[in-house]
Amino acid sequence: MNHAIISCLHANLPAAEAVLNDIDRQGIDTITCLGDLVGYGPQPNEVVELIRKRGIATCQGCWDEDIIDGLNACECSYPSQLAERRGHLAHQWTDDQLTDENKSFLASLPTSLRRDRLLFVHGSPNSQHEYLLPDMDAFAALERVETAGADILFCGHTHQPYVRELRDGSIRVRLQNADHGNDQGEELTLPMRKIVNAGSVGEPRHGSTNATYVIHNDATDEVEIKEVAYDVGRTCQAIVEAGLPKVFAWRLSHGFEFAEQAEDASHVCER
Amino acid sequence: MRSHQGKCGYLRLDGYPSNGLEQVSDSGIDKTFLKDQFPELIDLSDSHHASRSQQGDLLTLIELPQFQSPQQAGLMGMDPRVKNQLEALQLHPDRHLHFGRDPELPNKDTLEFKKLESFSLTLNASVWDPPSLNTLWFELVNGAYGDVYRAKALMNLPDGRSMFFNWIVSQESSQFIPLEEISAPNGRPASLSELVVQGKHLDGLRIQSTIDLCLLNDAVLEMHQMPLRDRQKEAIPST
Repeated sequence: MNHAIISCLHANLPAAEAVLNDIDRQGIDTITCLGDLVGYGPQPNEVVELIRKRGIATCQGCWDEDIIDGLNACECSYPSQLAERRGHLAHQWTDDQLTDENKSFLASLPTSLRRDRLLFVHGSPNSQHEYLLPDMDAFAALERVETAGADILFCGHTHQPYVRELRDGSIRVRLQNADHGNDQGEELTLPMRKIVNAGSVGEPRHGSTNATYVIHNDATDEVEIKEVAYDVGRTCQAIVEAGLPKVFAWRLSHGFEFAEQAEDASHVCER
Repeated sequence: MRSHQGKCGYLRLDGYPSNGLEQVSDSGIDKTFLKDQFPELIDLSDSHHASRSQQGDLLTLIELPQFQSPQQAGLMGMDPRVKNQLEALQLHPDRHLHFGRDPELPNKDTLEFKKLESFSLTLNASVWDPPSLNTLWFELVNGAYGDVYRAKALMNLPDGRSMFFNWIVSQESSQFIPLEEISAPNGRPASLSELVVQGKHLDGLRIQSTIDLCLLNDAVLEMHQMPLRDRQKEAIPST
């Protein structure tokens, strides 16, 4: 059976509507959302209410967490002073706009969802703020999936959709015992694991303005990354009308993120 | 200029605005950059040095912002106001070539404008967060604050370096050249820092407000500079 995975909606209502319409047209009725419903975009309440109304199973993203826990939950992910100040501005604006009811909904979201051998998280099983980038060290990537006890890990956060198969994985441990002068070793062979990143609905970062999401068939394990065009101009107009920085509209209309994100694949928030 | 064996000079003449086309006032960026690259450069706008312009071995770069091709070829096509500026400096041109018209000059960077606005900002003593500067420049030359045809700047970095930024719309990428002279990482530098932009529908207020988000305050600047000073101290051998 096909099911759909969406992530990183970022308060972009036209993009969220277009993606959900695309999923509906295919007759898929199981949808999982990997969080970041809000942040930067102009329609945080509308997007949260759409997800609530549709009853979409959702885990908490880093922006959803920051809105609840307060700013500075993870400053270290900003790559520049400009990005940080824009992020703070967007945070403050979103905080002012969101209703208490919608904040309570974001606070109630779990950090992960599990269905059998499938695990759904925003960033990584360790943190909503950790990036699992496509070129991350294979051993570290395998460790994330294996220790979470999953065959397939669905994540978002990077805004770059990808499917990464970790085949023929093995972990070899060699312990040298100095006292006895002999080596003890153990090798554990792992079955194939998969990391599937759904990209971003509301703030794509894959070289085009199209929203992305993923369809997974849980019988065949086939994964398809889908791109959906939406009315970017409508979102840009809403950004300007909301009084958010015009540069957010410019960046979105050119397929850039609202503010840059850290590129460091090894970045782990230590807060 | 690098291959010239004798002295080199520089002179910037004022251009003249015409209908719908704004001239940028001389910010001193080019003179500062050239002086850094050629410390012996003679500034011919200084009247003390102007008489040296007649020296036989002096290679002089004369910069003159112009918008339109002259209607007549050769010396007859020279704007009389420019001719007057040159004569005041005892410079008597024997040829007059124009970009976009005369085949002796490259045509690549010749652009025709019907309307041109300008924006300039003095940034002396300002120091940038380097990755923020990278983002601002990217957004600026790619049209986030209006259609930019030409942008030029000298910007200060926290480690004491000053960078020359140069963009022209017909080029694929910007030029970034570090100046030879490096200030001590000890507070705000005294070197010239300017931004000059020419284009259409320029939003100067938004450029300014973005720049404000990119500049380092005293405390953050000190955080950048203190370890640099410590490293410099360690590098000096004790006697």
